[in-house]
Amino acid sequence: MATRWLMATPSSSPFNASVTFMDKKDSLTVPGRYNEIRHICDFVAEGAAQAGFDEDAIFQVQLACDEACTNIIEHTYEAENAGKIQISWEIGRRTFTIIIEDSGKRFDPGEIPPAPVPPTAVRVGQEEDYDVKVGGLGVYFMRKLMDKVTFHYNEGSGNVLTMEKRLPEK
Amino acid sequence: MSISYQELGNQTWLVSVSGRLDQNQTPDLEARLNTLLEEGHNRILIDLSDVNYINSGGLRCLVTAWRRAKKDGGNVVLTGLKSRVNEVFSMVGFDKVFEVYPSRKLALQSWQEKQ
Repeated sequence: MATRWLMATPSSSPFNASVTFMDKKDSLTVPGRYNEIRHICDFVAEGAAQAGFDEDAIFQVQLACDEACTNIIEHTYEAENAGKIQISWEIGRRTFTIIIEDSGKRFDPGEIPPAPVPPTAVRVGQEEDYDVKVGGLGVYFMRKLMDKVTFHYNEGSGNVLTMEKRLPEK
Repeated sequence: MSISYQELGNQTWLVSVSGRLDQNQTPDLEARLNTLLEEGHNRILIDLSDVNYINSGGLRCLVTAWRRAKKDGGNVVLTGLKSRVNEVFSMVGFDKVFEVYPSRKLALQSWQEKQ
């Protein structure tokens, strides 16, 4: 079962103490299963819409989260139903931040093979030319679709993935 | 997601997919494509007109089938890519890997002309 809570916390501006800014944030915890990823996508889409992103940008945020959660199930839990995924989003002053946490084994993006560099090199003629590389696409998408992606590992609690996307100009 | 398939004649098969091509749904498509390829049907047209979402797992499934068909002397070609699906293909250059046609008719015409 998924659990979620919604919070709004005041934060003061370092530039003008009279301005009070209400950060919007929300959090969701789901079992690490592929059929929960759609649920996660809907959850982050709701936050991205509140942040003012257009449909294209919301799609990008959803795809980045999909890839991140798929990686968690495949690479850190190495199976479905092996642990939970906690996802939270926060609308800040300039960025929409998504934090995804799991308690699986340490995820080192450096161990993931580099994704193909577009356009993928395909030469027709030799059998080995059809060996298009398909590994590493998930991390590639996350970095391509979000403005900042960082991986961190906490001994004892697990992986923390932070992804940021700049808010649209008003 | 739903998958339907039919023989179009001349050893060409049409596979129509609808819904989301993600990790949850892709195994069904992968199984269907593997069955066709194992039966020696390596000329496959995949219609993605009703696919509104694809992730890296969906791409991996399609490329794996394409690679296998190519090695067997056939091909996997695509039609009906919506703009967002096409955007995902373009991001990793897979729009250059596959032959992508605007319609089933044009895909089949092109296939016949190459024979």
